[in-house]
Amino acid sequence: MPRDPKYDILFEPIQLGPKTLKNRFYQVPHCIGAGSERPGFQAYHRGIKAEGGWGACCTEYCSIHPESDDTSRVSARIWDEGDVRNLAAMCDRLHEFGALAGIELWYGGPHAPCMESRATPRGPSQIASDFELNIFPRYMDRDDIETVQQMYVDAALRARDAGFDIIYVYGAHAYLPFQFLSPFYNRRTDEYGGSFENRARFWRESLYKVREAVGDDCAIASRFAVDHLLGPASIQVGEDGIRFVEHCNDLVDLWDFTVGDIAEWGQNAGPSRFFEENHEKPFTGQVKAGNHTDKAVVGVGRITNPDTMVAIINSGQYDIIGAARPSISDPFLPQKIDEGRLEDIRECIGCNQCISRWEIGGPPMVCTQNATAGEEYRRGWHPEKFHPATNRDKGVLVVGAGPAGMECAMVLGKREMSAVHLVEGAKEIGGSVNWISKLGHSDGKENLFRGTARGLGEWSRIVNYRQIQLDKLGNVEVHLNSRLSAEEVLDYGAEIVIVATGCHYATDGLNAATHAPIPGADTALDWQLTPDQVVAGVKQIGKRVLVLENEGYFMGASVAQKLAGAGHEVQLVTQAGDIAGYMEYTLEAPMLHRDLHRLGVGIHTYTMLERIEPGVCHAYNVWNPAHKEQLEVDTVVLCTARLSDDELYRELKSDPARLAQEGIEAVYVIGDASAPRMIVDSVFDGHRLAREIDSPHPEMPLPFIRERRLWGDTTNEDYRTQLLNTVDVA
Amino acid sequence: MKIVVPVKQVAALDDDFELLDDGSGVDPDFLERDLNEWDAFSLEAALQLREAAEGGGEVVVLTVGDEGSEEALLGCLARGADRALRVWSDECRDADPLAVARVLAAAAEREEPDLVLCGVQSSDAVNGATGVALAGYLELPHVAVVKQIEYVAAESTATVKRELEGGLVEVLRVRTPALLTIQTGINEPRYANLRAIKQAREKPLEVSTPEQIGLKAEALAAAAGSRRRRLRPPERGAGAEMLAGSPADVATRIVEIVRERMA
Amino acid sequence: MSDVLVVAETRRGELREVSLELLAAALGVKNAFGGRLLVAVLDHQPERFVPALSVDGVDELLLVSTPTEHFEAHVSQRALEELIEAERPGLVLLGHTIDSLGYGPAVAAHRGLGFASDVTSLAWEDGPLAGRGAYGDKLVAELEFPGKDCTLLLVRQGTFEPVSAGPGSAPNRTVELALDGVAATEHMSFEEVQDSGVDITKAPFLVSIGRGVEDRDEIPRFEALAERLGATLSVSRPLVDAGWMPNARQVGQSGKTVKPRVYLALGISGAVQHLAGMRTAETIIAVNTDPEAPIFGVAHYGVVADLFEIADELEQVLD
Repeated sequence: MPRDPKYDILFEPIQLGPKTLKNRFYQVPHCIGAGSERPGFQAYHRGIKAEGGWGACCTEYCSIHPESDDTSRVSARIWDEGDVRNLAAMCDRLHEFGALAGIELWYGGPHAPCMESRATPRGPSQIASDFELNIFPRYMDRDDIETVQQMYVDAALRARDAGFDIIYVYGAHAYLPFQFLSPFYNRRTDEYGGSFENRARFWRESLYKVREAVGDDCAIASRFAVDHLLGPASIQVGEDGIRFVEHCNDLVDLWDFTVGDIAEWGQNAGPSRFFEENHEKPFTGQVKAGNHTDKAVVGVGRITNPDTMVAIINSGQYDIIGAARPSISDPFLPQKIDEGRLEDIRECIGCNQCISRWEIGGPPMVCTQNATAGEEYRRGWHPEKFHPATNRDKGVLVVGAGPAGMECAMVLGKREMSAVHLVEGAKEIGGSVNWISKLGHSDGKENLFRGTARGLGEWSRIVNYRQIQLDKLGNVEVHLNSRLSAEEVLDYGAEIVIVATGCHYATDGLNAATHAPIPGADTALDWQLTPDQVVAGVKQIGKRVLVLENEGYFMGASVAQKLAGAGHEVQLVTQAGDIAGYMEYTLEAPMLHRDLHRLGVGIHTYTMLERIEPGVCHAYNVWNPAHKEQLEVDTVVLCTARLSDDELYRELKSDPARLAQEGIEAVYVIGDASAPRMIVDSVFDGHRLAREIDSPHPEMPLPFIRERRLWGDTTNEDYRTQLLNTVDVA
Repeated sequence: MKIVVPVKQVAALDDDFELLDDGSGVDPDFLERDLNEWDAFSLEAALQLREAAEGGGEVVVLTVGDEGSEEALLGCLARGADRALRVWSDECRDADPLAVARVLAAAAEREEPDLVLCGVQSSDAVNGATGVALAGYLELPHVAVVKQIEYVAAESTATVKRELEGGLVEVLRVRTPALLTIQTGINEPRYANLRAIKQAREKPLEVSTPEQIGLKAEALAAAAGSRRRRLRPPERGAGAEMLAGSPADVATRIVEIVRERMA
Repeated sequence: MSDVLVVAETRRGELREVSLELLAAALGVKNAFGGRLLVAVLDHQPERFVPALSVDGVDELLLVSTPTEHFEAHVSQRALEELIEAERPGLVLLGHTIDSLGYGPAVAAHRGLGFASDVTSLAWEDGPLAGRGAYGDKLVAELEFPGKDCTLLLVRQGTFEPVSAGPGSAPNRTVELALDGVAATEHMSFEEVQDSGVDITKAPFLVSIGRGVEDRDEIPRFEALAERLGATLSVSRPLVDAGWMPNARQVGQSGKTVKPRVYLALGISGAVQHLAGMRTAETIIAVNTDPEAPIFGVAHYGVVADLFEIADELEQVLD
């Protein structure tokens, strides 16, 4: 189908200084865990997006010098010729597909703890990072300022040599240039502090010097948080925000607008449970539309809807549609719009699993919607291309259409298996996502700082996308309302059986804290519930509710939100030092805490239940079990642990002779039925098995390429080069 | 008992489709083929009646369709139909509902069924006419849009519920042999497992021309109720008629329009 | 030009609206091409409909008294076949209704008539020319009926503006037909069905709300509004995404495809995925603040306004 003409504007080229961006799709800088040390990962991940039609792709934040070292989190680095060589691979890959390559030059100041380099970061004033623990910068005198500005220039020259087309002086997320600009960080009294012009001086000079060095060859960009969201204490869009854009407008070819800072960057990379599409518009939308710049402007907002994109450009909000998460979830989003295949767009669900892995520091990025994200190089997976399986004559039965089963059946279908039957016991596909997406609460009313409690509804996109794809696959049949017994599976006539039957919540309080059930816990009672029972509405829930949360992710907190939002008095209890620890990594935690506080949810950390009795839970402090507390409640919700629903798998495996007799060659187990896990990992598990269904041992993942230095390799030469270059700069 | 179930392999139009150059039809590359949704229910009704019948019975599926429509027949055989008959000749290519019914009548007559169960309509052509036209040719008692069947073999009757507009249902008793057109939702159609799908290929699937089942080309041509002059895109007005005025005026007008259209 | 025979439709003592639509269609043909307009009433007590069907332009009412109290397909079939035999009309018009679908095609088959169902347009060129939807109304098929002296068409309801019911001054004639023993079915009872589960694909009138609603607490208000209008509430995807409404209510590519008689879209901009699910609704009325909203491209009536203002006024009108 040809592109709808109303989307033509998204495909109009636009000039960025000396460079032409071929369309309006722009992958803004975002972390993936590749940096400069996994050049294959870096080149192939960005490259797949260029192949999918993105007009430009950028590195993640790229350190300009060992003084800006974010270890253990993975940034790119352009410290020396070795880094140039590794990042050039990314540029080459992008250029093959006609995309521009951007690099985001980064100096973190006190936000860079320098745990690998053991250098001392410099900053405008000696105030510890509000993001790191106990990291103080060295106060920058005039010489320091010039030294750091020279670091930007040297890095820019190396970036140009590497082949980058767009070079950023990165000041958003409260890194060094912004630290000079904002009185929240800058308490100087010299010509770099105080007045607006003084605070803007460092950034303006840095932009000027970089432009002088490479501005004829490369487009100069700056990423700028137009509003710090701290009110008068820092930059506000209506004040210094717009003033700064006007002040430095002559020095940039491209503005990349954001909001907020690194300490709470979930305000920028907004999770769907609190932020809707294009949520930064009230801030970033004022600048271009208010005629404060005539330069090209790019911005983000988890924008996946092409109509929103057109509206953004037509309203003057941005000229270019920026994306980080939507480009991970669907690297072929531009091509799909171009080809009129909107139904094939794999929309980001805003779960922020991608971000969580960077926050953890070290692991490669993952994506719930796109299991191939991060696997482009090391496993050779392409999000849109599938090799026909060599054993495609086999009939496959997938039992259970949850995240793992849906994904597995879909990929098997795309691999042209002759017949795939996806059989689900419930009346619709989706498995646990169908009830999980009803969690949280969404009153749509209360403003929490900036976002709005919206619940997990967008997570149902996991199901929607797969439903549409499965419908299209002629070789995949989906059968609902059909819970197969082992006998029916044996009689099914499939050569390959894949069990994806999910898991259930422990009914007796079994948990990872005590490794035992909790005395008195029994969700068969009418006043005790598992979380799915809460959503199903099968039991009356009393006024006072205790939610026990031992998993450390979203479940307990989301149940608490849902019930408190519905007017219950909720106590949330966890053995850990914080509720929902993993939500720190997904950037959902700050907003979650605001919401729980607003809803009056009582939080009990380092607390575990000794036993449960009607009307009262007996709790104790995990560091001092003698310290006991009685919590009087009417209803108890146990989010303690999950157990695989693997009876079918065990029964099938128990009789190999019968399997052989029925012509069943292999039985596999995937997803939560294998072991309960996060949705992102279940989807991956299903995808992985389908990708490798014709490997020698499909139950065992094939090895993946590990990008590492091999001892005795010729790269010893590189070490010497690196060393010399580092010495030169210092 | 013997039940004949006429079925159709329907063609759904891709979102993106092209007409043949002469406008006489749709380029077949842009059609997705599948068993007509209604026919899944009529087949299931037939299978359930066969299973409930003392002394068993036979379910025979018929279609007027080209070779590609054997996929639909195989699907029916896999679900449990006993045998299938496909009738086709070039004359059937653009057959209208009456011509299709004429061919089906020739095929069904040979079977002497106790019941003929058709889908109410096909999802692509939406004529809603083929089943009742078939009853006209066969001169069989018939009831259209049936959503429940109680068959009493001993009395040669069936008590059925017929779905009328606006949520009204008529309960009536019909003499059999009879033809019923079956509405969706009457049952939950079963699906075939992989083994049944493989085994369906072993079941009898007869292919005939109309001539071979006793229908001459002239008779078929005479049966046609219409001829398609051309296919064209629908006339969509130049966008919406915009209603102007105060919110109160507009609301009044909306209620008027709704009442007109829903009357 | 030959005559046109319209078969009026009655149910439980009431004349059905489609009868007056058929008269409108028939009058169009008659006024353009001449011939007589005959209207047949097949009913247990046909004379009770004489006043309502005595519309200007009707040349004669043919009153056929049926032995069965309620519609019986085989009785109607025999009666119509005999009327065609006796009156020799060139065109017979029935409604594309469940009753008429229950015998009209059998008449056409049995007597070898020209035939089409679900007709949405009617013209005359030496004989009738009918238009009908094809492939889910994505296309229109134009049909002709060569070599047929008589053509029977089932006309889609709502296609023609109904004429006003009489009383006018049409002559009427009682036609005696031998219909005893023709019935093959026996009426037992009528049942009224109250469907508790919501199936938006079956609802004839949908009030659909979208992102413009902005606030979950507003949803009950629109549920109430829909109910008062006699409609079912459906939603576009953002409200399902937000978890405010169940999937079963969603119209669009990933939801349900609906084809109601009236679709009133409030605060729905009309993403392609949404339009795919509702564009074939018979009448689409769209309210949106954005005059460029894509929904106006498929709507029959558009209102550029705030949906809450319109909702307020709709509530006023209904009060």
